[in-house]
Amino acid sequence: MNYETSKPDNVNDASGDGARAADVDLHGGESPEISRRRFLEAAGFTFSFVALNGCSRPTPELALPFTEQPEGMIPGQSQSYASTCAGCPAGCGLLGGVRDGRPLKMEGMPEHPLSKGGLCAIGQALPLGLYDSHRLKHPLQRGEQAEWKQVDQTIIQTLEKVDASGGAVRFVTSTITSPTLRSSIDAFLKRFSDARHISFDSLSCSAILDAHEKTHGARLLPHYRLEDASVIVSFGADFLGTWISPVEFTAAWRTRRVPTAERPEMSYHAHFEGRMSLTGSNADRRFRLAPDEFGVVLSHLYVSLAERSGEVPQHDALTESPLAAADLAALAERLWAARGESLVLCDSQDVAVQVLVNAINYLLGNYGKTVDIARPSRQRQGSDRDLLELIDELRAGKVSALFVAGTDLTHNLPGHDTLAEAIGKVELVVSFAERQDDFASLAHFVCPDHHSLEAWMDAEPVSGLVSLSQPMLQPLGKTRSILESLARWSGHEDSAYDILRSSWETNILPRTMSTTATTLREFWDRSLHDGFVEVVPTENAATKVGDFDASSVNVIAGRGNAAEYCLTLYSKIGLTDSRHAHNPWLQELPDPVTKVTWDNYVSVSAATAEKLKLIDGDVVRVATPGNGASLELPTLIQRGQHDRVISIALGYGVKGTDRFAKVGPQWFEGRPTVEPGGLVGKNAASLIDPGNGSLSLVRSDVTLSKTDRRHDLASTQEYHSLEIPPNVAPHGAEVRDIVQKTSLPEFAKNPESGKPEHHFDGQLQLWPEDHAKEGHRWGMAIDMNACTGCSACLVACQSENNVPVVGKDEVRRQREMHWIRIDRYYGGDDDDVDVSHQPMMCQHCDNAPCETVCPVLATVHSDEGLNEQVYNRCVGTRYCANNCPYKVRRFNWFDYPHEDSLLNLSLNPDVAVRSRGVMEKCSMCVQRIEEGKIDAKRRGAPLVDGEIKTACQQSCPAQAIVFGDLNDAESAIHAADENPRGYGVLEEFNFRQSVSYLRVVRNRGDLQTDGGEHV
Amino acid sequence: MHRIIVTVILLVGLFYSLIVLASGMSKWRLPDNQQGYSPKQPIAYSHRLHAGELGIDCKFCHSAAEHGQHAGIPSTDVCMKCHKFVTSSFDVLQEEMKKSDKEKRKPNTIISAELKELYATLDLDDPKTPRPNGKANSIPWVRVHNLPDFVSFDHSAHVTAGVACQKCHGPVESMERVRQFESLSMGWCVNCHRDATENGIDGHAVNASLNCTVCHH
Repeated sequence: MNYETSKPDNVNDASGDGARAADVDLHGGESPEISRRRFLEAAGFTFSFVALNGCSRPTPELALPFTEQPEGMIPGQSQSYASTCAGCPAGCGLLGGVRDGRPLKMEGMPEHPLSKGGLCAIGQALPLGLYDSHRLKHPLQRGEQAEWKQVDQTIIQTLEKVDASGGAVRFVTSTITSPTLRSSIDAFLKRFSDARHISFDSLSCSAILDAHEKTHGARLLPHYRLEDASVIVSFGADFLGTWISPVEFTAAWRTRRVPTAERPEMSYHAHFEGRMSLTGSNADRRFRLAPDEFGVVLSHLYVSLAERSGEVPQHDALTESPLAAADLAALAERLWAARGESLVLCDSQDVAVQVLVNAINYLLGNYGKTVDIARPSRQRQGSDRDLLELIDELRAGKVSALFVAGTDLTHNLPGHDTLAEAIGKVELVVSFAERQDDFASLAHFVCPDHHSLEAWMDAEPVSGLVSLSQPMLQPLGKTRSILESLARWSGHEDSAYDILRSSWETNILPRTMSTTATTLREFWDRSLHDGFVEVVPTENAATKVGDFDASSVNVIAGRGNAAEYCLTLYSKIGLTDSRHAHNPWLQELPDPVTKVTWDNYVSVSAATAEKLKLIDGDVVRVATPGNGASLELPTLIQRGQHDRVISIALGYGVKGTDRFAKVGPQWFEGRPTVEPGGLVGKNAASLIDPGNGSLSLVRSDVTLSKTDRRHDLASTQEYHSLEIPPNVAPHGAEVRDIVQKTSLPEFAKNPESGKPEHHFDGQLQLWPEDHAKEGHRWGMAIDMNACTGCSACLVACQSENNVPVVGKDEVRRQREMHWIRIDRYYGGDDDDVDVSHQPMMCQHCDNAPCETVCPVLATVHSDEGLNEQVYNRCVGTRYCANNCPYKVRRFNWFDYPHEDSLLNLSLNPDVAVRSRGVMEKCSMCVQRIEEGKIDAKRRGAPLVDGEIKTACQQSCPAQAIVFGDLNDAESAIHAADENPRGYGVLEEFNFRQSVSYLRVVRNRGDLQTDGGEHV
Repeated sequence: MHRIIVTVILLVGLFYSLIVLASGMSKWRLPDNQQGYSPKQPIAYSHRLHAGELGIDCKFCHSAAEHGQHAGIPSTDVCMKCHKFVTSSFDVLQEEMKKSDKEKRKPNTIISAELKELYATLDLDDPKTPRPNGKANSIPWVRVHNLPDFVSFDHSAHVTAGVACQKCHGPVESMERVRQFESLSMGWCVNCHRDATENGIDGHAVNASLNCTVCHH
């Protein structure tokens, strides 16, 4: 036992025993600092101490009861508060789930006349914004923390000076649908001799409003009624994604998109666009058309329709149409046949084009039917003209006081530097921003408004529909409602609640539709309980109709376009403008079409990419030589993109988003989500064209050039594919029938059309007897014809099930944790691309491939048909994920960060926060199933169908998801299961899934029914 | 030489730890098994007195047990429903009454040591007079029954099914200071679920599920 080592430095080692020699040999002559034996000794002691510690008593945990329990509050039980979503001006109905005093889960309000129970990804992500520790907690005076008293005093003094000198006061807001806030602003501005309230939307409908001023004598935005339209033709309007009120439009669009065997009817939806939008991807027929050519095609369409009406106006010669004459004639024919129930929509910011759209809708008799101007929408009020005037005033130094609320003025406008300089000349600059955004850092005072879940507010998204927002918790910081701030500066001490009540007394109560006399209290209580109230709409402001002549065509008739490229700026679902850029759920939400997270990019067509020798991720430079602006962003090659169109998303490059550098797990190979010194994406607002009296998001004077740099994009679509790689596919199985499609004529003939021939009897079961499911048998059906791919379910699931955010680098490594993903499939060619969206989550197979390979029984089957994942048993072999044909299992590679104690308040206490090394996946919201069952037990009544709703189902704006008990013959899921359109993905393998899909039906005769590619 | 010393020290240490562990053998438990845990509470509230001697129903104070997942610790205003008037034990009050009758004076308010602490949390001098600008605080009770975070337990489901409180909490009505009576381990839960499904509860059939996700989600 007395070996000597050859190393002199070991000679003096007091503990030099036998193991030394072995160590030295093992390590090839080099001695490590700590020997293996020493290490094992230490580890052994440590582990035994840890084990012994486990046997000790825990540190005492306190349970603090109320001193006085609020009435009706039950600890641990969720209560719903009816409110209005303030994520955008669409004003959808919201039910805020509040548990033990904290808002946790936002749900759609099924009774709401507009949103009808849907809620988009933004609405779902509100709680994360609420618990954001970077939100301002106190007012700022020149960037320093200040007290309200001191801020108020200085602002009031400065305002008095401005008032005395007769200086100009300008109040810029994003669209305000709140009647109370509007009147508060008006009251505040009244005392100044030169004061104006300017509405500015970074995604404005200014041209539609201006066009109606021309054609109908009133600057209004019609309320489009898609539920009444059997033919919808959209020119660029992404109404299912981001345009005006997507949740409302999705719900309305859906009502005519679900044919049944008894009534094989559905609406026809044609879509013209240059980029690939969510709406375009759902159209029956999508035409590639650059946005600068909308006018030309519309002028041809107008003339073609006018010919059918028999009154063709004398017009100039039309520019040649890029659309084939046959297609145009077919479209005109469809529209003409559906007079009074058709709808032409357009997102152009060119007033002349919008006038033409009005003329077409008028010609088709759609006004008063699908285009409602008697009860106009107030969801977009912004005026580009007013804003451009303001910019001129600012540049000329004519503004004395500038107030900005609800928008980041400098971030969302081009010419940032000169604008910042102009704002520097203003005597008093006040921002109401919730964080120190780009404009707020220029402001003298930042008076942070409450988060919408902390504040009293109202909204009138459509004339005659007024809804209330109520606070769901005490404000987390020393923020103050904008209503209160304005009152203080006008010399009132009223609270926001009092201001709202008195505004309702004077403005809303007199408009009540109730025939019996109502007191304010009754009216208020009922409205607050319901969340909304329908009142008499304000008077129809339109003074004239039908004032169309050839001039509307002539303006466009002579236009030609020869520009090489047409730049289109758009907004992504979930982010809209810059206001949600600090929400990591929305940043990690894959774009429904491109599936890219955490970045914006330049989308180009394959032909353009080939021309410039670009591949995905090559950084390109987009420049506008006219005003010297340029932007360098990575390329993304997009199917269905017009060859001339390059598109870039707005709402990126927001100040402060460098905070997300360390958003995911930090490990030695990890790369930051945001590069050092950078931000999440880049701000494309510099490319907005402020010419021609509008802030145009479309411009033709751009150049595109390749740089030699690369920037990797994190996309979720290139993996988790259900396809067999072509090189290994057996003969005849190269294409799997994952997305099944049929056309409406075929469907009318045979409701089961589109069904492939399978060679199995479907009756084989692995365990036929011992797994009888006699009680409940949970199942889900997804109507792929209703699903638009809007991804609201994805964030709903994330919020409900504590799904962590992993950051860009982990997404690149295919390790995003979303339990539900939306697979996107392309069919057809670039000119006529056919896209399908398929939500994919655990299919809860009866013959589950994952269950048979788990060595520790961590994934087992319940007697109610659920595939259960037991985290505490899981040892992380990942065999189950390898064996899952749907690729829906997610492995926790890390303990994802939960250090932000404020952010942790958004965690759902009913769902375990998973630790490193365990597998997880969709549980079909088993916590909700258990809660529903217990609820029924408490009531002593059987469970009613529809009572339990999964998180994804509840929020779906298209009501595409049905969930319920397959054993209940009366249930909706049972009916869906027997739907002739129903099929199971990969059902030929006899997994006997609990999730089924309803086949896509396209309203066209010439459908290519190949499955599509998963690219 | 030093090897002998080390061996001796190790042997001494081994014997010492064996003695220590053996003496505490009766208290051995697996990690996280808190059976018998009985922490000192901020106010020496006696369940024996209230639930046992006075026979107050458990659900009078823990009313949420019927309605939600947590039984809940009663808010202080529940205590004050009685203790606005009852300021000390019956014997002490009775004696003071007799004494005051004898001495022909109004009885003095006698407040027991525990109730003094209760009033202190509400910032009251005596049960009826709040201190000006007083601030009521929650009583920092120490939680006794605490399941791990990965377990969901719903009181109302069990109460509705007819499971007696004592089945899990033991004879609380005889405990001066509450202690965890059962192990509350998974095996213990599962045994009861099996037994309930097989034999029913109080004569009526129940379906106590054995699915993992009933408790773990």
